[in-house]
Amino acid sequence: MNRVSLRNWTLSLFAAISVIGLTACGTSSSPQATTTSSPATPQTNSTQSAEPAPAKVEGTISFYTSQPDEDAAALIDGFTKKHPQVKVQLFRSGTEEVISRLQAEAQAGQVKADVLLVADAPTFASLKKQDLLMPYNSPEAEQIPAELKDADGAYTGTKVMATVLAVNTQKGNKLPDSWKVLTAPEAAGKGVMPSPLYSGAAAYNLGVFTRQSEFGWEYFEGLKANQMTVSKGNGAVLKSVAGGEKDYGIVVDYMVARAKTEGSPVELIYPSEGVPVITEPIGILKKAQNPAAAKAFVDYVLSEEGQKLAAGLGYTPIRKGIGAPEGLKSLEEIKVLSADIAELEASREADKKKFGEMMGGN
Amino acid sequence: MATNWHTTVTERQAGGQRRNFTAPLSWEKAAGWLVLVPVAFFFVYPLWKLVILSVKTETGIGLGVFSEMLADVRTWSAVYHSLVAAVLSTVLALVIGVTLAWLCAYTDIRGKGAIHVMAMLPLLIPSYVMTLAWTQMAGPAGVLNRFASWLAGTPVELWNVYGLDGIIVVMGLSHYPLVYMLTLSVLYRIPKELEWAARSSGAASRSVLRQVTLPLALPGIASGGLLAFISGLDNFGIPAFLGIPAGIPVLSTLIYEQVIGFGPSAFGRAAVLSILLGVIALVGTGLQWLLLRKGRVDQTSAEDRSVRYALGKKRFLAEGAVGLFLFVTSFLPLLSMASTALIKAYGLPFLTENLTWKHFLFVLRDHAGTREAIANSLLLAGLTGVLCLIVGTLFAYWRIQRPSALGKMTEGAVSLPYALPGMVVGLAMILTWMEPIPGWQPGIYGTVWMILIAYVTRFLILQVKSSTVSILQVGREVEEAARISGGHLWTRWSRVLLPLYAPGMLTGLFLVMLTAFTELTISSLLWSSGSQTIGVVIFGFEQAGSTTLSSALSTLIVTAILILLAVGGIWKRYWQRRMEG
Repeated sequence: MNRVSLRNWTLSLFAAISVIGLTACGTSSSPQATTTSSPATPQTNSTQSAEPAPAKVEGTISFYTSQPDEDAAALIDGFTKKHPQVKVQLFRSGTEEVISRLQAEAQAGQVKADVLLVADAPTFASLKKQDLLMPYNSPEAEQIPAELKDADGAYTGTKVMATVLAVNTQKGNKLPDSWKVLTAPEAAGKGVMPSPLYSGAAAYNLGVFTRQSEFGWEYFEGLKANQMTVSKGNGAVLKSVAGGEKDYGIVVDYMVARAKTEGSPVELIYPSEGVPVITEPIGILKKAQNPAAAKAFVDYVLSEEGQKLAAGLGYTPIRKGIGAPEGLKSLEEIKVLSADIAELEASREADKKKFGEMMGGN
Repeated sequence: MATNWHTTVTERQAGGQRRNFTAPLSWEKAAGWLVLVPVAFFFVYPLWKLVILSVKTETGIGLGVFSEMLADVRTWSAVYHSLVAAVLSTVLALVIGVTLAWLCAYTDIRGKGAIHVMAMLPLLIPSYVMTLAWTQMAGPAGVLNRFASWLAGTPVELWNVYGLDGIIVVMGLSHYPLVYMLTLSVLYRIPKELEWAARSSGAASRSVLRQVTLPLALPGIASGGLLAFISGLDNFGIPAFLGIPAGIPVLSTLIYEQVIGFGPSAFGRAAVLSILLGVIALVGTGLQWLLLRKGRVDQTSAEDRSVRYALGKKRFLAEGAVGLFLFVTSFLPLLSMASTALIKAYGLPFLTENLTWKHFLFVLRDHAGTREAIANSLLLAGLTGVLCLIVGTLFAYWRIQRPSALGKMTEGAVSLPYALPGMVVGLAMILTWMEPIPGWQPGIYGTVWMILIAYVTRFLILQVKSSTVSILQVGREVEEAARISGGHLWTRWSRVLLPLYAPGMLTGLFLVMLTAFTELTISSLLWSSGSQTIGVVIFGFEQAGSTTLSSALSTLIVTAILILLAVGGIWKRYWQRRMEG
């Protein structure tokens, strides 16, 4: 008589557990959630009246970044020393992951980030186009060259990261001084580069290279003909070259400098034609809940102190007058290859597609 | 959904007339809803959010993104590669997993404990490490090809791991433990008398295997095969490493490509591809049901770990083969990871003057995030394991005791989050849990609980399939008998069913906890201050180019798990002995 009802008990139990589990999650987490969203309103009003507003810098800001873990931690440390009332919540991941999360949040109608710092300017240009950014002309930004920041103040470069040529030093290769080595016979089958399809920084480089009269798409055809290997990201490229699987790699400078300092058998070369440079811009989100603190954070990153911190971590600072760390060139010494950011943004998908068709499916 | 639900009720009315007299139908109905509603909310709803994205266009709703993606050659090339890689790697995983399980369960091969632990390694070692180890072994400049060239005196390329064949091999070798684990627990339960009966009736060993053992073991083999198949579909690390340089897109890498693209339709394009991937996964689940229908469920037998086949002279051969296999596929990758962690700087030769402990010290002592991450991952793995254990086992029980179309559909839904790439599941979670119901924000987003929900959603199928294997093997008569003897619900479960279900349940718990403990993709998308996991830390090191540090942390984690596994194995044996005794 009671057997069916008892069996069904187990199912009610199953449902009850899932419900309990859910509510437990909900209740235990809500206090944390309220702390993140509580400050906001009063400051929002006071800072909207342009000019360096004397708004109180306090509360919590949410910082999304693609910087390596330790660097982000050092930056937050430095900032909270200056502004102890501000608590910085960090989300760190790859540029691609950070942007995907941000876009998903935007799709769901609530961007949770206040400040964003990821690899390249076109990515920011795309966010600006979607009207997700809040313009802010930091007083500190005056010390930063105009071509490395957005004219409307939607984003500002924070450092200079050149993409360079890494060469394995154990293979007895003559150190080259030109990008053209990658299309030369001595590098046939021995080169590796990050894929623009998987790395934003690599997509930027592709856009810049193809817009130089000296290189253009012909250069990439040459790379293809020379059996250039396309790897997932900068990390994989560095590994290939440092590990001796490949001899030459196109890779971001600070990684090579760090590996070299640690003792890996790699050499860093700034080719004579110049190098594409990404600026790891910083920007404030339009719906930032704590704009006052967010602005203070941006100011700190661009300030002399913040820039010295970046140099101490092994990056070329973007602010005039601060020297580059050992092993890297300063902005004044680097010959920069560049292209129009708006154009790079608009044509990125087409560039990637063309690259995919050209290099893919050997 | 509603119509199917009705048909299942009527089916049951026709089939189980007895039940009609004993209980009101509403109980059955309530039970169905109690499964359906949570499944719909936790599993179908997030996927629905993705489907919506795929039809969203700038002007409103339309199939523009669909037609654009379906017209793209690369899409179909990725579908083809995904299918080939998933199917062939599953075949490989099945062959290796079943063979190894048979050897361990039935023969007098020695060192079973060690084999068992070594066979777990491919599940533990992060797939990028596994892949890297394979490129060192079989890449163009790898050990294999250099050795071949040295032998031949001229440059020879024996086998290059970059390419579709490499993806298949590495995937198969990474996923065979799933088949092995699920098959092993089934084999122990097949009554040895059945095989004896077949043999004494004159059947040769081979036909005993084909006609008795394998059909009886089908629940385990098919479930393990399904898990290997959907693991192959969602895997990103292996094709990213081995496929991108060879210009071979698979669905998971193509989805990633689309997700990170610019413009409003980026997610839509990824959603279309995810739907394609989901369809393939569901077809796989369907095939598995067909297989299971052919399987036979016989009388329950207690676990029997006695030796059934003496290998005789072939024992050395078998031990040598298994030993060599595990050495190459499990031990060498671990060794290559550990040696990377010990070297001062990546790329230096492995010489005494280049060795150092500093990376281990750094991640353990100096890196602030590591300990917090270990604590978080332990918490997440524990909670995920327990939640999945309870929910997954009850679900499997309902699914088998009340076979219905609804049951199949819900199982398909539960398997999808495991088949889709972690990136997609993570994004679906963001879209869903920020505001699950318009106007209701539970405040889960951005906390560790968000990751917990994502994990339970993603890994539940591992527990469901593992529990299913044991439940399928326990005939209904057992429960009936217990009921007739007057056992109440609690007694029935605690004294009769749970001990019988325990092997499968524990296998599932192990799989879920291990996978959750080392999970990387979802947490790297969903974590925030205070909730970083081990995966997030490893991913961070890797991205900063600090391979030595990520290897050090991975090595520490894998070693710790190996020790726990050994301890757990002893405990499991003790517990089972107590239950049987």
